Amino acid sequence: MWIVEYRELIKILTISDLKVKYQSSALGFAWSLLNPLLMMLVLYLVFNNVFKGNQENYALYLLIGIVSWRFMANGTSSSMGAIVGKSSLVTKIYIPRQILVLSTVLSSFISSLLEFLVLMILLLAFGVKISANVLLFPAVHMIYFVMVYGISLALSSLYVYYRDLNQIWEVLLQLGFFVSPVCYSISIVPENYIFYYMLNPVTLVMQIYRKTLLYGESPTSASLIYILLAAGILLIIGGAIFKKLERRFAEEL
Amino acid sequence: MHAILVEKVTKRFRIPTERKITIYENLIGLLRGGAHAYEVFDALQDVSFSVKHGETFGVIGPNGCGKSTLLKVLAGVLYPDSGRVKINGKIAPFLELGVGFQPELSARDNVYLYGAIMGLTHKDVDSRYEEIMDFSELRRFENMKLRNFSSGMYVRLAFATAIQTDPDVILVDEVLSVGDESFQKKCGEKIDEIRRAGKTILLVSHSLDTVRSLCSRCLLMKSGKMMALGETEDVLAEYERMRARG
Repeated sequence: MWIVEYRELIKILTISDLKVKYQSSALGFAWSLLNPLLMMLVLYLVFNNVFKGNQENYALYLLIGIVSWRFMANGTSSSMGAIVGKSSLVTKIYIPRQILVLSTVLSSFISSLLEFLVLMILLLAFGVKISANVLLFPAVHMIYFVMVYGISLALSSLYVYYRDLNQIWEVLLQLGFFVSPVCYSISIVPENYIFYYMLNPVTLVMQIYRKTLLYGESPTSASLIYILLAAGILLIIGGAIFKKLERRFAEEL
Repeated sequence: MHAILVEKVTKRFRIPTERKITIYENLIGLLRGGAHAYEVFDALQDVSFSVKHGETFGVIGPNGCGKSTLLKVLAGVLYPDSGRVKINGKIAPFLELGVGFQPELSARDNVYLYGAIMGLTHKDVDSRYEEIMDFSELRRFENMKLRNFSSGMYVRLAFATAIQTDPDVILVDEVLSVGDESFQKKCGEKIDEIRRAGKTILLVSHSLDTVRSLCSRCLLMKSGKMMALGETEDVLAEYERMRARG
């Protein structure tokens, strides 16, 4: 199995990705944590005052949405270039190419964990009662990781052939931001659309985070099974696309 | 048991008459009709040979004969369109040195990175780190960022690391011509040492002298086809005749 055999390379690539990311600006690490907080501030001012939202604990509700969305957005858009950006590791030597995608997603995953850590501290600071449901977080975040990885496999391999995919994906992410409940309450979604609305696995992941972290409730087992299935399907489809397109990577790069 | 087994390998490249690399261009192409506008080029045609354990095997031929493509197929970088390649043991492809080096990281970090690319664990590199630094003569610079290295230093660090991977099969593509003269000599000696240790080496070279002195058997290629396969002297003689014919 390549994950075990090349664990050292996966580790090094992940760490060096993080190093490069955080060393490129002096405040690199602080910025990456400040970014979601500032974004929360902007959205809070807009939605709380302009749209008069009535979600309780709106600031924290928003922050959970932003932090969990950021993993999807940053994870997929940074790993899209994983193959193209490391073309020499594809054309001049053989390593299982999934490693390149996996390590960029892992690096986003670690960044995301740090953001969640800050989030937890804020939750405590705001006096939110932490329940035992928090223990579900690692498992759910792992499932979310598999989703992001599956999508990234498809995107990074398609990007080798279609170099304007990043533009298209940016627009789709923008769309995703608004069809997921990042900055509004699900209660505003019209009832006849709610079924389709809830098919979006990211929506479910976000709701599970809010339930377990903010409201101290347990998620329904149906929602857990659904995201697990979604992650499995995304991984299989992404993996199949990658496997098929990988054969001509070295020629296309 | 063979170290390298190549059976009826064919590799076909597609050369698009009009290169389309965006979804936009592909959509426009579809609208205009004639979606598959490419020519094919056979870089390897029905190539079969085997290399025994401990043998040093040479691949020769004029430019564009498919040597480099063959090496890339063996390394696993390119997939053959048909046929089969089997390699027994750990392989170290020296197609190009310093693949994956990151200029923003220190020399030390890059040694660990490069070692991992070649399939070494952290412990493996730990135990060989001293030797790598000695061989490359770069100990003074171990904490310097790689982007400040000269190209000679860069290659020395890469070769010193790559040679420490303890491979069973080594693929070499003219790699002996790295660094200055004294370092070239050092590399040559190291390769020779590995050869005497009973490792399998597949050598692609333009230098017939190198091939004559190192290889017991050879493959001669031209335009992706096998022209001759056998004892080095016979194959080299055939190459001479081929060149004389023009």
